[in-house]
Amino acid sequence: MSEKELGKKLDRCLADGVVKLGTGLGLGIVFSVLFFKRRTWPITLFSGAGLGMAYANCQHDLRSHYLLHTSEQEQ
Amino acid sequence: MASRIWPLVKLVSKVTIAGGAVYVTYDSGLLGSSEQGSVVLEKAKVAVPPALEEWIKYFGLEAQLPTMPKIEFSPINSWNTGVRWTISSLSEAPTRASEYTSQGLQYVKDLIK
Repeated sequence: MSEKELGKKLDRCLADGVVKLGTGLGLGIVFSVLFFKRRTWPITLFSGAGLGMAYANCQHDLRSHYLLHTSEQEQ
Repeated sequence: MASRIWPLVKLVSKVTIAGGAVYVTYDSGLLGSSEQGSVVLEKAKVAVPPALEEWIKYFGLEAQLPTMPKIEFSPINSWNTGVRWTISSLSEAPTRASEYTSQGLQYVKDLIK
C-alpha cells in the first residue's frame, strides 16, 4: 500500500469515526428520551457502538489491500 | 376504554419515532462503510452552513446574534505543521543538547578560572 493510499484511508477512517459517533450520539439521545427516562447510559451505549462500527470499518478498509478475492484467485 | 388505549398509543408513537430515526440513519448511509460515511460528511459540510443561515433569517435572529467572522483556519494544515515541527525538533534535539552541554561546561570552567 502506498503512503498516499494509506493517508487517504486514514482520512476516511477519521471522517467515518466522526460520522458514526455523531449518529450514535443522536440515536442514543432519541432512545434515551423516548424509552429510558432521559438516563445517560443509552447515549453512552449508542455512541460506543458507533465508534465500534467505525473501528471495524477502518480495520476492514486497511486489511482489504492484502486480501485476495475469490475472483482474482480463479484468474 | 380511553385510559386503556392511551398507553398503547403512546408506546406505538414512541416506537414509530424511534424506528423512523433508525430507518433514516440507515437509508442515508450513516451506518454503512467508510466511503459512505465520508460522502455523507462532505454533503453535511456543504449543506449545514446555508441551512443555518436560512434558519437564522427565518426566525429573525440576525440582529440578535453577532455575525460569525470568517476565519481562515485550516486544522489539517495546523496539525501537519505541528507534526513537522515536532519531528524536526526531535531530530535536532541530540545535537542541540550536546551543544548546550558543552556551552554550559565551558561557562562553568570560565567561572572556576
